[in-house]
Amino acid sequence: MSVSADRSVLPIRATTFDGKTVTIRKKLKRYNIPSRLNTREQRVTNLLAVPIHRLMEELSISKATGLSKQYVRHAPSREAYSDPEAPMGTLWVDRYRPTCYLDLLGDDRVHREVMSWVKEWDYCVFGKKGKKRARDEENLDEYRRPRERLLLISGPPGLGKTTLAHVIAKQAGYEVFEVNASDARSAQIVDDRIRPALESGSKVGSSKPTLLVVDEIDGATGGSDTSAGFIFKLVQLTQDKPKKRSQSAKDNIPQPNRPLLRPIICICNDLYASSLSKLRPHARIIRFNRPNDFRLVNRLREICEIEGLKAQSRALTTLVGLAQGDLRGCLNTLQLIKAKNVEVTETIVRHATVGMKEAEMSQTTVLNDLFSPMSTKRAKDLGLGEEDLARYVNRLSREVEASGATDKIAVGCFEHYTTLRKHDANLNRFLKASEWLSTYDLFSGEMRSEREWALLQYLPFMLVPLYPLFQERGNPKVERPKADWESYTQTRVNEEVYKTLAKCMRTASTRHGGAYRHLASDETLQLEFAPMINRIISPPLRPVNKQVIKPDERALMSRLVDIMVAMELRFIQEKSEDGQLMYRLDPPIDTFVTYDGKRAADIAISRYAIRHLVASEIDAQLIHKQADAVEKAKGKTHAFFGRREPIEKGTNGPAASGEGQLLSAEPAARAVKRARQDVTVDIEEKVPTDFFGRPIIVRKDGQKGKPASRVGKAHVRTPGVAYRFNEGNSAAVRKLVKVSAFL
Amino acid sequence: MSLWVDCYRPKSLDELHYHEGLSARLRALAGSGDFPHMLFYGPSGAGKKTRVACTLRELFGKGVEKLKIDQRVFMTPSRRKLDVNIVQSNFHLEITPSEVGNYDRVVIQELLKEIAQTQQVDINARHRFKVVVINEADTLTRDAQAALRRTMEKYMSNMRIILCANSTSKLIAPIKSRCLLVRVAAPTEQEMMKVMKHVADRQNFRIDDDNVIQEIAQDADGNLRKALLVFEALKMQTGLNGPITIAKPDWETYCHKVGDMIIQEQSPQRVMEVRTKLYELLSHCIPPSVVLKTIASHVVDKVDESLKADIMHWAAVYEVRMRVGNKKIFHLEAWVVKVMSLYKHFVYGIDMSSFD
Repeated sequence: MSVSADRSVLPIRATTFDGKTVTIRKKLKRYNIPSRLNTREQRVTNLLAVPIHRLMEELSISKATGLSKQYVRHAPSREAYSDPEAPMGTLWVDRYRPTCYLDLLGDDRVHREVMSWVKEWDYCVFGKKGKKRARDEENLDEYRRPRERLLLISGPPGLGKTTLAHVIAKQAGYEVFEVNASDARSAQIVDDRIRPALESGSKVGSSKPTLLVVDEIDGATGGSDTSAGFIFKLVQLTQDKPKKRSQSAKDNIPQPNRPLLRPIICICNDLYASSLSKLRPHARIIRFNRPNDFRLVNRLREICEIEGLKAQSRALTTLVGLAQGDLRGCLNTLQLIKAKNVEVTETIVRHATVGMKEAEMSQTTVLNDLFSPMSTKRAKDLGLGEEDLARYVNRLSREVEASGATDKIAVGCFEHYTTLRKHDANLNRFLKASEWLSTYDLFSGEMRSEREWALLQYLPFMLVPLYPLFQERGNPKVERPKADWESYTQTRVNEEVYKTLAKCMRTASTRHGGAYRHLASDETLQLEFAPMINRIISPPLRPVNKQVIKPDERALMSRLVDIMVAMELRFIQEKSEDGQLMYRLDPPIDTFVTYDGKRAADIAISRYAIRHLVASEIDAQLIHKQADAVEKAKGKTHAFFGRREPIEKGTNGPAASGEGQLLSAEPAARAVKRARQDVTVDIEEKVPTDFFGRPIIVRKDGQKGKPASRVGKAHVRTPGVAYRFNEGNSAAVRKLVKVSAFL
Repeated sequence: MSLWVDCYRPKSLDELHYHEGLSARLRALAGSGDFPHMLFYGPSGAGKKTRVACTLRELFGKGVEKLKIDQRVFMTPSRRKLDVNIVQSNFHLEITPSEVGNYDRVVIQELLKEIAQTQQVDINARHRFKVVVINEADTLTRDAQAALRRTMEKYMSNMRIILCANSTSKLIAPIKSRCLLVRVAAPTEQEMMKVMKHVADRQNFRIDDDNVIQEIAQDADGNLRKALLVFEALKMQTGLNGPITIAKPDWETYCHKVGDMIIQEQSPQRVMEVRTKLYELLSHCIPPSVVLKTIASHVVDKVDESLKADIMHWAAVYEVRMRVGNKKIFHLEAWVVKVMSLYKHFVYGIDMSSFD
């Protein structure tokens, strides 16, 4: 085995005994600069003439210059960008962008994860048979695609997510097709550009397959709930089933949806952006964490050396700390410094980074900052002393303002403050806090209603006072506020129920001469009517057979049925989760007597049997009503043809209003049975008509008018005709009733 | 079919059970041939709408009772569509502008102009004008009220307006000065009992014990509609034989529970518990001002004399804030904390800030 070793970073080539060539990357030697050491230096001074960090620095610089000389010699590709003659126009960020997998900085595990996901597509895209593991086999479908056809990389900006996607795509042999915020990202784009690009498989004039990178997907338009949204379409694209092909051939649909055969990588900053909620279940999610500071500093130092910038490693550590791992920000800052200075020191870094990263505050971070003091590490990064920390108002108010969601932060404060300071004996803190929040809302309400937007600048200051009241080290982390939202959605649901109820009452009032309309106004409905109607419709009935019911119970029942029919309340049969049948009230107005999930005590629990009984009665009543309506419609046709109008008894006499009064003025014990009788009477009394509504005059000879003789009993009384009427719904209880019983 | 509240609602001025003086005046007014714009005001459930309906009937005869209800669509300037339910007969028309919230101005303007510019076509009609009844007039926005004021003068020949409101305080002065103000006071207990007896009569059952209806009347607090609803609920539930417990609306019971909680314990945990209860109430669409008022009056009942004024004072303060603000729960809780602190200070009688 021969090894051609080198002291450079170039990979080592080795040949094994069976003649294969293996490349082994040599690990860069790390110069262990204890970065923590210099942070402690402030306290322990005057032990060395020259501070230890400076000594270490000099040492590392001398080593590094030696190294960089070789580096330059052996890495011609790097020479191109390290050339001082290189155009000043390019950003350092671009100049030092990693171009291959090994250059990538950051968590190796994340890189490998992304790579392995892309590799899972190999069989589908390239037809390669790689190593097969039993675990993979399960996840693959008929096209041998991974189960999640989307990869979602999330993480704060500047850590190299986009770069990672590009590098890995290149490494795996793909051509990148990128869609980012600069492109229009409507649902249409998915159909117009993305789908063709993915279906054709590769770009024109390129042999490599396409890999779609959707950058900054959290800013996509349209949201994910509507079918018009970008994300909805994208998810749909990945879910397209191939089986449609046979169908579409039949239906002549020009473009059958082909299955997705190329990988898609989505990149976002905020994994929990609301627009991504539909995407998350379909994607494999990879979180990008902040790379190790130490490695960042190393990389920065390398770059500084190449650019000929003298950098103290202390300064670089500060820079990384300030930028919170944002490598892009660091590089941009360094380039800015380079334009003026030749040396990077801590003070210069501090000056250059004023205002950096301020806009990147999420709500939760702001809330956490409001309720707990700044961590010592961060304070040190920012170079704040004890007295700076005590001056919190500016810092916090600016943070709250920068978050851009002052209202949400107020809600967050409201939800969080009660969980703190359990031993507030005389509630002084609570008093102050609630006072501030109330004032906040007063201002914001005034601002909105009067459109006095000038007040906006004062709003953050109303939330800052919570800091001295509740800040304490070790406070529980603030969770995403949710109680308010939950209550809001619940309110909307209940409002909807009220609206349905009001609508029911309005229809009821059209049928009953405007009877219910006075109750349909908002306050009355909510405060008086809803609780009472729930009591009115739940009388204590016994679950007994309809036939053996007591007369007073029957009266109660028929009254109940009348009311429910009039108001269009129904019991709807449903299967509960455990397979039991149950009756649900529709619209579900019983929610208004249910507080904390418990029904009011004075309302009898209506059991299945009772509801069943009532429901069947309601159905019977409805059928009867329909029959009535049909009769009425017949009456109208008579009028339309202008013929002699038959005198009817119950059907077209008084208008609906009259009927309502008539019936309700009667004792409530109007049983359904009676109602049925009414119908029969109507039919018999009515003058028979032909198809056009003309009354049929029965000829005296009576030989031809066969239909007339059948129905027209009122005119020709032939004693021989018998009429069979079977009472009851089932054959079991049928009994014969003579017509005379009705008359 | 309809509830007792509706089917025994008096149809004409003669049938009304109380406020006879008012009925006589309305009758005279309707008979005089001329008719002013009117504003009926009084507490909820006192019988304002009933009196309006009776007056209309006196004015136009039976034809007013032939109602039809239709839904009209109005377009806001921002091209949003609004659905409004309009109840009308040949002689009058009823609207509830609060259904459309902030856009009531559009409805008022369009609808009233339309009515005002068409003349009565029915030759047999007793009057040449149509009447527009505006329910819940106190929820009209200022814009809508302003839109109303000129219309009321300009189209006097074709149209009269009857406003119905709980209080006149939210109506602008120009409107009040254009109307004949009619106050409908809440009925007394005796009057309510009389009405309930009348209903029982018509329903063919006897009330053996006057205490029952007296209790209902007391509980209803001058709201006859509530009294009748409770009456019917009790009849359905118990049949009204023997002793009864008045069915209070559930939200009210719940509010009382919250009030008790405030008095029982004053601690941060309790604040949290009260908050979830308040959320529960608000999510049941109970108006926050009603919640505050109910809890406050319950708390006031239970505490010492010297605290009562303070508690009510703060309730008033926070209600004002609540009306301006958006997040009602902030103010409700602020009040709860305030009351807790007041109560605790009172009970222990010492300054406890040193125990912290």
